[in-house]
Amino acid sequence: MIDIRLTVNGKEYSLSIEEDKRLIDVLREDLGFIGVMEGCGEGECGACTVIMDGKTVNSCLVMGFQANGKNIITIEGLAKDGKLDPVQQAFIDVGAVQCGFCIPGAILSIRALLNENPKPTEEEIRESISGNLCRCTGYNKMLEAVERARRYENGA
Amino acid sequence: MVLNVVGKRVPRIDALSKVTGRAIYPQDIYMDNMAYGKTLRSEIAHGYVSLDTSEAEKIDGVLRIFTYKDVPKNEHGVVYKDHEVFISKKVRRVGDPLAFVVAENEKICDLALEKIKVTYEELEGVFDPVEAMKEDAPKVHDKSNVLYHFKIRKGNVEEAFKRCYAIVENTYKVHMVDHAFLQPEAGVAYVDEEGNIVVMVATQYPHYDREEIANALQVPVERVRVINTNVGGAFGAREDITLQIHLALAAKELKRPIKTVYSREESFLAHCKRHAMVMKYKTGADKDGKLLAMEAEIIGDTGAYASWAANVMRKAGVHATGPYYIPNVKVDSYAVYTNNPFAGAMRGFGATQVPIAHEQQMDMLAEKLGMDPVTIRLKNIFKKGSVTATGQVLTEGVPLEECLIKAIEGFTFNIKREEA
Repeated sequence: MIDIRLTVNGKEYSLSIEEDKRLIDVLREDLGFIGVMEGCGEGECGACTVIMDGKTVNSCLVMGFQANGKNIITIEGLAKDGKLDPVQQAFIDVGAVQCGFCIPGAILSIRALLNENPKPTEEEIRESISGNLCRCTGYNKMLEAVERARRYENGA
Repeated sequence: MVLNVVGKRVPRIDALSKVTGRAIYPQDIYMDNMAYGKTLRSEIAHGYVSLDTSEAEKIDGVLRIFTYKDVPKNEHGVVYKDHEVFISKKVRRVGDPLAFVVAENEKICDLALEKIKVTYEELEGVFDPVEAMKEDAPKVHDKSNVLYHFKIRKGNVEEAFKRCYAIVENTYKVHMVDHAFLQPEAGVAYVDEEGNIVVMVATQYPHYDREEIANALQVPVERVRVINTNVGGAFGAREDITLQIHLALAAKELKRPIKTVYSREESFLAHCKRHAMVMKYKTGADKDGKLLAMEAEIIGDTGAYASWAANVMRKAGVHATGPYYIPNVKVDSYAVYTNNPFAGAMRGFGATQVPIAHEQQMDMLAEKLGMDPVTIRLKNIFKKGSVTATGQVLTEGVPLEECLIKAIEGFTFNIKREEA
């Protein structure tokens, strides 16, 4: 067992985990963040994407102990005071959600992009979600959602 | 009349829960006192199998190892009950379920899976549906490998081919395809306070699953409850049984909640594929490009089990002419067993594969006749009142000609061709 401290969605946690436990399992099983999805377990599908210290990572490829001292944001941490993040709201409003399994990861990838680059080009948006596989094939809707989210963020 | 939904943008009812990560898929369900189950699967495609579970059962934390001996009626299947819940004697594909280990956690399940001694007596397999149709081919189910044969006979193709100015003859092959939905199969089963078996699973057919579980376990249907969770993509691959009966059996026997989550790799092994097909086509037209005759033999590889093969191959046959009027048609489509992964429903259900053949035929006929590929299509395309190869009269909603003309207007290839 190994002791770690990490911040998830603004809240600090101290816990004792198995050395071979992946971050995704710490988040889902120990902390109950079930919005972190596992689609492949090998870093291909991006469903388990979380934001760690400002950068997106596949939480299935990060060991739990590697998250020691890190600041993590999962899909559960995006809404503030009951108000959805503009990206979440835009996904609903343009109809970018189908089966939903890739959605938390895709939203977090876009959130991380917009945090660093508020005016991304189409190519930059496509690049940002290139690690998030969507099998219902909603990529164009996701692009539309980014446009819409930017409008919401600009108060439109 | 006031329409509340049609013509309006209505948010999906489940969109909010999905963008906030609160939507429940079966892998998200955790219950008190829950045990875990994992499946042992065949590593060979064809052969007799026997198991020795004695060593695995001794591992601390292993609760039970279920095999075919534990299943009251060891069968399931959406149309033909040709699957076994667990293989009793003969495996027919890589990935056939042999046993279900239930233990206190997944790590112990993995240890136990390694300790089960599996002995195979390998048999010659058949992996090509054309080979499988031959009399002397290895038999997947101890009977003819030809599961289903669908025929269309319209007019007289032999006579009509004699009148054709141009004839194109080709064989097309398409491979199997996996649906690769994002959410691997998972489920949780338990026995509720009234003694009912409850299975929570992402499925396309909760009502079928319920009947299959009740039949395999030989309990009344009303004692089984299937709760459909959020479904993380399906596309046809969640029409067959995967883990439903395994979970129900274990919950019933152990009286504890049992959870199973497949890895991506196991997901590929567990569910059906889109049918690989071999499509032999002969299409003929007169000098003006009017289609006179078409003959097609379409062989679908359904792998080790039937699933929806008969329905899929019938649909492939029905759609074999494409959207074109042809007065003389002969179609034979077949569903054939092999030792490949089993094929079933996937988006299009047999209608997806045949366009590769009938449209290529049209292009090649156009080339032979020195005709534009759009012109030959417009000359033959279904219109209101057209009669299909199966005799269906298309009485309304046939805007194909309009659609094709509109689509061509949107393309620029004609212009480019002139420039070149």
